[in-house]
Amino acid sequence: MKTKLTRRVVLQGILAGTTAFATMRVLPAMAQQAGGTLNVGLTYELDTMNTYSTGFLADAQHTVIEGLIAPDKDARYVPVLAKEVPTLENGGIVLSEDGSKMTITYKLHENVKWHDGEPLTSADVKFTWEAVKDPAFIAESKDGTQDIDSIDLPDDYTVVCNYNTVKPNFASTLFTFGIMPKHLLEGTDLNTSSYNETPVGTGPFKVAEFVRGQYVVLDKNTDYWRTAENGDALPYLDRLVFRIVTDSNTLITQLQSGELDMAVSVPYGRASQLEGANGLEIVVGQQLSWGHLDFNFRNELLADLAVRKAVAHAINRETLIRVQGGFPTPIKSLVLPIFDLYDDATPEYVYDVAAANALLDEAGYARGGDGIREKDGQRLSFAFVVQSGRADDENVQQVIIAQLKEIGIEASADNKTGVAYREARYSGGYDLIYGRWITSADPVYSTFYGSEGENNGQGYSNPELDAVFARLENTLDPQERKAAASEMQRIIAEDLPAIALTQGVSVIAKPVELKNFVPNPTNMTNFVDTKEWYLEA
Amino acid sequence: MSLSYIIRRILGAIPLLLGISVILFVIIQLAPGGPLDIYAENPSVSKEALAQIAARYGLDQPVPVQYFLWLKAILVGDWGYSIRTGRPVLDEIVLRLGPTLQLGGLAMLVSLLIAVPVGIISAARRGSKLDGTVTVLSFAGISTPVFWLALLLQLLFSVQLGWLPSAGYQSIGDGSFIDRLRHIIMPAAVLSLATVASWSRFIRSGMIDVLHQDYIRTAYAKGRGEKAVLFYHALRNAMIPAVTVIAVDFVTIISGAVITETVFAWPGIGRLFMESMDGRDYPMLMGLMMMGSLAIVVANIVADLCYAALDPRIRYD
Repeated sequence: MKTKLTRRVVLQGILAGTTAFATMRVLPAMAQQAGGTLNVGLTYELDTMNTYSTGFLADAQHTVIEGLIAPDKDARYVPVLAKEVPTLENGGIVLSEDGSKMTITYKLHENVKWHDGEPLTSADVKFTWEAVKDPAFIAESKDGTQDIDSIDLPDDYTVVCNYNTVKPNFASTLFTFGIMPKHLLEGTDLNTSSYNETPVGTGPFKVAEFVRGQYVVLDKNTDYWRTAENGDALPYLDRLVFRIVTDSNTLITQLQSGELDMAVSVPYGRASQLEGANGLEIVVGQQLSWGHLDFNFRNELLADLAVRKAVAHAINRETLIRVQGGFPTPIKSLVLPIFDLYDDATPEYVYDVAAANALLDEAGYARGGDGIREKDGQRLSFAFVVQSGRADDENVQQVIIAQLKEIGIEASADNKTGVAYREARYSGGYDLIYGRWITSADPVYSTFYGSEGENNGQGYSNPELDAVFARLENTLDPQERKAAASEMQRIIAEDLPAIALTQGVSVIAKPVELKNFVPNPTNMTNFVDTKEWYLEA
Repeated sequence: MSLSYIIRRILGAIPLLLGISVILFVIIQLAPGGPLDIYAENPSVSKEALAQIAARYGLDQPVPVQYFLWLKAILVGDWGYSIRTGRPVLDEIVLRLGPTLQLGGLAMLVSLLIAVPVGIISAARRGSKLDGTVTVLSFAGISTPVFWLALLLQLLFSVQLGWLPSAGYQSIGDGSFIDRLRHIIMPAAVLSLATVASWSRFIRSGMIDVLHQDYIRTAYAKGRGEKAVLFYHALRNAMIPAVTVIAVDFVTIISGAVITETVFAWPGIGRLFMESMDGRDYPMLMGLMMMGSLAIVVANIVADLCYAALDPRIRYD
């Protein structure tokens, strides 16, 4: 967007400039302190420092490795190693004439250095694609590698990716996770490389020491390529230490005793213990995860819309939230409110037992002697699956069972672990299933509710919705996407293949002195941007 | 006791270990869940991707085939690769063995130093107030949950008093002897508690048995003092039943004090076992459990050899 240089704009500019200058003069303390160590507790066992092969969220890894772009606090992509996020408008994305393929061009910053001093070039980006794509490399996510046919490198700082498809969610994969150094890794076996312990990146911190089962120490990269807007060298912190403390009681103890300064996954029930303890404060961050109740459409009783609507009216989200420590937030759409594609006009089923009963009465389900409804000899009795061992999920399940009983629907817990749970989820081995999805900043919804969706174990098929998915997932036009997304949310809310219930949050304990910390809701973790964090003396 | 006896015992252990390995393999496979569980909530890992990962680790093969592949590899010294970290199983075990041996060794030493005198004194003063107190304390010790005691100690010594670090193996950038000692005190104390309690009971009952024997009466009749009789004549024989218990407990400690190590963030075998269980890391679990079984077999052989050393009447051939 260009702004015309009018007198008013100039005056506004002068005013703003003067104010800023005056504020800086009045508040010399605006300068941010450099130095200090932040001890962070990790509640999982750090398996590898390679962001592409970790089975966990890459908290520590993202302070070392940078991607071309990254999601910010609002799950919007911002440039990192690339100068800008490629879009149709800025010419970074170009569609083929028939609209079936696209080319994405990244322009890299020229002043970026790897931790060993070598410059970052476009060859590193191409190498990253080749390395992750290589079948011999055991990676957790090779997502997006197969969508690229080839990569051209017209010069050292330009990367042209030739896609074999149109992929609006290209940003949530591959180069966003991180770039690997070609000059160090070419010809090595990435599965056994020392890179997995001490990766060399371009990020604000370098790996000083990784001791398995204990901790990883990350020292400030004194040669970091970015500086703060006020000219300060970045990062401010001298050192970040991630300590592995898998026992939640011990985690809380260490926060109380001051051995740990910060934890990003405090159990919901323990948060109140930490508020105000030892200079700590609790920050509640959003998370791109949503809890949902899905129906199996192979069960003809559940294929009846009246039953699904009644269930939707019978569930009181407030109670679900209470059993989860009061932390999750209620949602009505499967698109979380943080996303641009969220449509607040999505229809909602408010908690209304009378309405639920009326719906079932009208549809001809009469209560039997035991209070459970039936029609033509078929009882509204369902097998209800959650993944066993997940306390929060099991609590939610108990609440839903009780709430359904009130409207004459019987749901019996049929919980499964691990493979059995996943098998049930994929193949529809349930009537009702409750679970949570955690997504990137760019989820592909057809995988859940499309007729051919990979994660659609429900046997749900709606040609109208499939058409909307096709529009949503094959266009880059923001207006078109927004319209399609609204329609998708409306159809899903009306046809109810699933009920979106709550959005998860992360409970973060941090020192009061830690400034510039902004929770990040994405799977890139709260540590995706640590360069400007500082400790106020 | 002859060398041929030891060799026979070792050879006899081979079919035993083979049998154990089959049972362990079957149990792991029967346990719910699998190595691919961590992908449960991640919608971007597709069925195809899961199948690929499974194929890479041979998880798509029938269980008997998986077993024979594992056995073949282990016979040439290849313990396989951890699914969770991708590193060799043996490397991971060796890495975690050091901290476990330190913790277990200290806990054993402390336990012995306390349990032996306590057991002897309560046997010698059987029925006294002192014996009664020791009995009550022993039962309290045996029945105290480890995690609860750990939590209490952490709250007292780390949060309230600030004297000791609440968890971890060493401070970052320190790792001196004193620093490690400060870290090991609480977990070793917690780990010792149960063993002190049970060992002192065994030594007490062993002593009581022995103190009724004729040769003790003879020793007293010859005019030897109480201390000399207790420590010189009685203790050796009284230790025999305790040796088995101590040997087995030692193995428990080596194969991992699971709870203690988890609560104190101690980077040992016990926590490795927990992590591997959580991740259903089959190769790692097999490696750890086989190592545990091997330790039990060895400890039993050693215990038998100890009997002979303690009591010259016991002879093996």
